[in-house]
Amino acid sequence: MFIRSTGVISAQHSFGNVPFLENPVEYNTNRLTCIEPDYKDIIDPKMIRRMSRIIRMGVAAAIGCLREGNTDVPDAIVTGTAYGCLQDTDVFLSKMVEQNEELLTPTAFIQSTHNTIGAQIGLMLKSNRYNNAFVHRGFSFESAMLDGMLLLMENAAGNVLVGAIDELTDHSFAILERFGLYKKNPVTNTALYSTNTRGSIAGEGSAFFLLAKEHTAGDYAKLDGMHTFYKPASIVESEEQVKLFLESHSIDINDIDLIITGRNGDTTHDAVYNQLNRGIFNGITTAGYKHLCGEYPTAVSFALWLAANCIKQNVIPSSLHSTSNTGKDIKRVLVYNHYQDIHHSLLLLSAC
Amino acid sequence: MSDLKKQIIEQLNLQDIKPEDIGDDQPLFVDGLGLDSIDALELIVLLQQHYKIKLSNAEDGPKVFKSVRTIAEYITAHQNQVA
Repeated sequence: MFIRSTGVISAQHSFGNVPFLENPVEYNTNRLTCIEPDYKDIIDPKMIRRMSRIIRMGVAAAIGCLREGNTDVPDAIVTGTAYGCLQDTDVFLSKMVEQNEELLTPTAFIQSTHNTIGAQIGLMLKSNRYNNAFVHRGFSFESAMLDGMLLLMENAAGNVLVGAIDELTDHSFAILERFGLYKKNPVTNTALYSTNTRGSIAGEGSAFFLLAKEHTAGDYAKLDGMHTFYKPASIVESEEQVKLFLESHSIDINDIDLIITGRNGDTTHDAVYNQLNRGIFNGITTAGYKHLCGEYPTAVSFALWLAANCIKQNVIPSSLHSTSNTGKDIKRVLVYNHYQDIHHSLLLLSAC
Repeated sequence: MSDLKKQIIEQLNLQDIKPEDIGDDQPLFVDGLGLDSIDALELIVLLQQHYKIKLSNAEDGPKVFKSVRTIAEYITAHQNQVA
């Protein structure tokens, strides 16, 4: 199966017809916020008024993806989100408290559900085809991908719109910061991996992909496979999982031209990547990506966008800070990501 | 009626619309202002929040929410009852 088109809204200039990470945005903070497009060019103003920020980001990325893929209505829409529409949930719960559980406005409640974005896309496209949403913490996007891939493999669909959406609100940032997920002080995102402290930088994003069964000219990349594993007992087990995944695709680590890892600047979380870099990944060009988009449960969707672009454009942008850039063609990319050392996933892409 | 229009704009988050853009007798739903069933629920909440008026009969909805004028007349009629 193939990645036909993408639509990504992130903390970088990634949406629309922009050069691939030519002008990376540098931040000095512990919280990255998405750069949003002018939605009036993308969404009917009558619909925008009722949409909270994450819904706008999700719908716009999806529409951008479909436009790029010259597809009016996909055969299926599958979304993944860990947190859902937090801003609407904030509004709804706050009003419950403020108004003693009386006179609650319906819009925030209706739109606070995790499947809102998939549903809004379906409504906008007037599509009553397959529409599903997955909420599995750090596996939310991978679950959506798996569903989309299965639909294609079983010939239940010829193309599937798969997307991931997660937002940060002031409340969620404050709560997750208290859990120790983020750095205590602002950091320069480009120096994230040398901070040598606990915590990462918070992020958010919306990324959609049109997956297609048949190859057409202009596709980004071939999606060879995906694998997830949960709470590996040790780094050795993670290494074994990587080896088994590559073996299942009849390739060796030396066949990989670029490995994109989910390093996030947290000394504990990065231990697995550091050890693999010294071991099985040694000698292969590796790059991080969370300094560009921040850490969030569906951040791996941003990595998939990066991998697809690296292959399509045959380039590793300097902003990825890769370990080396040998100048050889980027024909095969492995993405290895984990969220909170709980949800681990591998994605393998190759040139079409 | 100007205050009511402001409240409607705020409650329904009608972006780029000013009170003077809404005619007193302009239909609010479908072809007029383009409101829908979710907006009707928001308007019911607005009546309760701002005027302590409960729409007792749901079937009255289309008649009451036909235009700003009909809402204003309903408020006037029922505020007297509340008082």
